[in-house]
Amino acid sequence: MSDIQAATAEEQPDAAAPEPRHNAKRDKPRSLAADAWADLRRNKIFWVAAVLVVIIVTMAIFPSLFTSANPRACTLSRQHSGPTGSAFFGYDFQGCDVYARTIYGARASVEVGVLATLLSGVIGLIFGLSAGYFGRWVDAVLSRFIDIVLGVPFLLAAIVLAKRLSQDPQNNGVVAVIVTLGVLGWTSAARIMRSSVIAAKNQDYVAAARMLGAGPARLMMRHILPNSIASFIVVLTILLGINIASEATLSFLGIGLKGDAISWGIAISEAGPYVRVAPTPLIWPSVFLAVTVLAFIMLGDAVRDAFDPKLR
Amino acid sequence: MFRYIVRRLLQMVLTFFGATFLLYALVFANQEDPIQALAGERPITQNVRQVLTERYHLDDPFLTQYWYYMKGLLTGDFGTSLTGRSISDMMAQAWPTTIRLALMAIIIAATVAIVAGVISGIRRGSIFDNVTLVLTLVILSLPIVVLAPLTQLIFGIKLGWFPPTTGADPGFFKLLMPALVLGSLVVATELRVTRTSVAENLRSDYVRTARAKGLSRQRVIGVHVLRNSLIPVITLIGVDIGQLMAGAIVTEQVFNIPGVGFNLFRGIRTEDGPLVVGFVSILVIIFLVVNLLVDLLYAALDPRIRYE
Amino acid sequence: MLGKSPWKMAVGATAIALLAAGCSSGGSGGSDSADKTIVVGIGEPQHLIPSNTTESNGAEVLDALFYPLIKFDDKNEPVEVAAESITSDDNKVWTVKLKSGFTFSNGEPVVADNYIDAWNYGAYGPNGQNAAYFYERIEGYADLQSEDPDGDGPKEAPEPKAKTLTGLKKVDDNTFTVTLSAPFTGWKSVMGYTAFLPLPKAAFSAPGVIADGFEEKIVGNGPFKMKGAWQHDAQIQVEKVDDFKGDVPKVDGVTYKIYQDDQAQYADLVAGNLDVQTTIPIESLASAPSDLGDRFKKSPNSVFQFVGFPTFQKEFANADVRRAISMAINRQEITDQIFLGSQTPAAAFVSPVVAGYRPNSCGEYCTYNPTKAKQMYTAAGGPSEIKITYNADGGHKAWVDATCNQLKAALGVNCTGVGEPKFADLLTKVEKKEPVGLIRLGWIMDYPLMENYLGPLYSTTGSSNYYGYSNPAFDSLVKEGSEAPTTEEAIKKWQQAEDILAQDMPVIPLRFGQNVFGHSERVKNVNVDLFQKLDLYKIEMA
Repeated sequence: MSDIQAATAEEQPDAAAPEPRHNAKRDKPRSLAADAWADLRRNKIFWVAAVLVVIIVTMAIFPSLFTSANPRACTLSRQHSGPTGSAFFGYDFQGCDVYARTIYGARASVEVGVLATLLSGVIGLIFGLSAGYFGRWVDAVLSRFIDIVLGVPFLLAAIVLAKRLSQDPQNNGVVAVIVTLGVLGWTSAARIMRSSVIAAKNQDYVAAARMLGAGPARLMMRHILPNSIASFIVVLTILLGINIASEATLSFLGIGLKGDAISWGIAISEAGPYVRVAPTPLIWPSVFLAVTVLAFIMLGDAVRDAFDPKLR
Repeated sequence: MFRYIVRRLLQMVLTFFGATFLLYALVFANQEDPIQALAGERPITQNVRQVLTERYHLDDPFLTQYWYYMKGLLTGDFGTSLTGRSISDMMAQAWPTTIRLALMAIIIAATVAIVAGVISGIRRGSIFDNVTLVLTLVILSLPIVVLAPLTQLIFGIKLGWFPPTTGADPGFFKLLMPALVLGSLVVATELRVTRTSVAENLRSDYVRTARAKGLSRQRVIGVHVLRNSLIPVITLIGVDIGQLMAGAIVTEQVFNIPGVGFNLFRGIRTEDGPLVVGFVSILVIIFLVVNLLVDLLYAALDPRIRYE
Repeated sequence: MLGKSPWKMAVGATAIALLAAGCSSGGSGGSDSADKTIVVGIGEPQHLIPSNTTESNGAEVLDALFYPLIKFDDKNEPVEVAAESITSDDNKVWTVKLKSGFTFSNGEPVVADNYIDAWNYGAYGPNGQNAAYFYERIEGYADLQSEDPDGDGPKEAPEPKAKTLTGLKKVDDNTFTVTLSAPFTGWKSVMGYTAFLPLPKAAFSAPGVIADGFEEKIVGNGPFKMKGAWQHDAQIQVEKVDDFKGDVPKVDGVTYKIYQDDQAQYADLVAGNLDVQTTIPIESLASAPSDLGDRFKKSPNSVFQFVGFPTFQKEFANADVRRAISMAINRQEITDQIFLGSQTPAAAFVSPVVAGYRPNSCGEYCTYNPTKAKQMYTAAGGPSEIKITYNADGGHKAWVDATCNQLKAALGVNCTGVGEPKFADLLTKVEKKEPVGLIRLGWIMDYPLMENYLGPLYSTTGSSNYYGYSNPAFDSLVKEGSEAPTTEEAIKKWQQAEDILAQDMPVIPLRFGQNVFGHSERVKNVNVDLFQKLDLYKIEMA
């Protein structure tokens, strides 16, 4: 059948390349990653996304580049008043500069969003890949563990984790929030990964590669992973947005960021009840959050396309 | 196949006990002063504290408490909540409502996600694709604590299309607005995954083959692409069903639905161990069953997948 | 275009579904003019046995089902209702004479034993009744309690020495006496609390044992009776009792609809599915005047909001530090901007609703004066970091943040608000003596006497004195006041005690509460009393 042949032909050079003959530098340009990078460089969407991500990360690291105002200088007399001077977006319910708070909010939100998602991604990848690839008792153990974790109510686990993790009164609770969201948010990603791997490992090209003598590690990394990562990446990019918003929920329950922490999620939730009186304090942080998620969705799409063997 | 199902059912029993143990441990770890938690800000006299502590075995060690609980559970008794109500009664009231709500939400979400996801997957970069992307971003950037009250305000109060709150034992129509809000929680991920999956499968060799053989576009998409693209989507839907049941805390609060989310929230807030564990044990069973069904569906959707 | 049509279809389908279902799922019968049943919003009561009810939801329902011994008039003085007279010569032995001819809604006549049995049940330690502390002043209370020999250990507490209060004596079917262990001027007011309601014989399956299921279909001596059982988390319906002997309400029945959340309740009020909401949440206040017009109302209540200084926080040990912090807070700005006028600034340690309240007993220390505050704070060497700990589940974040911003501006310190998930967590931290900083507290009175603020909040043994304030001079003045022969003398002593607080500043008074309530167009004459309860005897159909 034609697709077997196509797959075998495509994978053969890789599979045939024996490990010891790796002349590291020479082989690199033809590796998957190098091919992907060549693809990416030609992709406009990738560059738009990359520029956005760089701006957002700069904002998170050096907020003072974007505003000279102090986001914590608030007075009630300026409550909900319009834009003045450097406060382009006006003032919120507490009389704080919405622009300054949105800029300074980037740090906590991006930290939580990116790191918690990465943590979930790593756990989800390991669980999903192993359960899907090895099947049998490995799958049974890992999948039933996933079922249990799915059943544990988010709120309960978050309270218990936050209490254990944030004993130190000095930190602002970002690490606790990252770990909480990361440790509780990986189950969907893991199940998606598992399903894709189960579908992929029964494909003919995998059978072919196996017959040609590829070991489990090589099969997993070279043949199964690239063909099953698409949905996984999509789930993670959306999870990024969900995590940024969930931080606000945790903070509102008193188990998230502590003290006078500033984040988009907190700003959005605090502005919610007053949306009829003053919509801007709600709109701006939401826009920043949406653009951040958009940047990562585009980045995810571009990277996935670049790594997709079917497009080659 | 039959042996596989039997094996999974046996695993379920073990998992169930594992889950209750883990949960009881979590609740126990969270339990600092349930009596004060129940009383809110009112002061508690020493005497009341002492009586309630003994009545609910609150001062016993973890394993003893777990033993009391399991002893009841194995005889079908879920015990009593710290307010003195029978947990079986509370569950009989809460589960039907929540199951109805979650099913409605998941059906709405899955329908929207699959229809919109397939269209935008076929027409990547089209106006439709971009519009759904923007809508997805809007939903994502409004946390449920903002989205739910806002929906209630606009559609329940200002426009008056739906009853603003639901109340106990609601019918289909009363649950529609909460179900829409709840569904929006999961629609974003399901939609994006469908889109990616469809786009990916459209590029695969078998589609080229089928097209080359002269099959119509509708048939290729409707039968071959959709079928193969559904695997990740139903995986997500399986996970989401359970999460919508337990995670409807904010939605149930805003729309006043006395369901599972509300009871879990109440149980966690008042550190009410039996209440939380009772509800969650049912939830774990639901996850186990749903995920078994999902795994069986894999084999139905993709004949190459076999369970031995 | 393709992009639009699925959405249009969804909207269209929704509209059709709405039309189809709209008629069948009607609301609470708002259009039926003959129906004189009103719908009142509450939260799920924890209990309905009077001696176990200490929260407002249960109290709201009990108000319909029971007829109390006394009520409070416009001046918050007690007046007899179910009692014919309540008298005492020495403030120690009180004689309660009941009006005759009253019955419970199951037909049983109301007699002295109904009160004695109910109170004995409530006071008996092993019954674990939440309101048991109300009987503490009655002679013999200690004998009904027992001490657990090993605290939290496995051993069970022994049975108490007695099962009945020696202070309660039946004189005849309509008369009984209450003997207190020490004289108390305000005892008549105390008996207005739900804990002092009677229970019918039918409540008990054996002496001292409440019958199974009684709480679900509780029987009282009031103008309304339960219609069906308590539908948990859904509603409690009550209907008029035929030929009620006391004041007869003008409505035929009340449906207490149970809500998890005040904002959901408010949505139903605006939509017309609810007739009365006694507490409109702060989030909805901004839009309430336009949503409700003149159906949005305010009335005084007894809420007192303050922050306490735990005595283990040594950095606040100097009274000048506490005074300076108090003077750095602009109460008026917070009540105007954050609470939109729904609360008022407090400059006293007791609520304006009790006799003996003086508007500015706290004096200059509760008056906003940032310059003097800064001078005093620097001179007294106040800490450069201030924390205010609050419970995140009570809607306190907004004003705590605003207060912190004011302190930052006025004192040049760094101030942060720290939210704990719930009040119990806050208390746990205080008990462990963790550095919580200032703690956010509030108080709702049980009976309208100054003593009900001074005793629980500031006495050494006060039940809600979580900060550990202790001043023997203060304690003895409160006690002298309670045992004084007349109310006037009592108030004089209590005011002297309050003056000590103004000097010591163990807490900073912040705000007094008000009822902010609203009602539908179906009803009029809606009043909400000091205890945040709807006045069922005045409300009528519009």
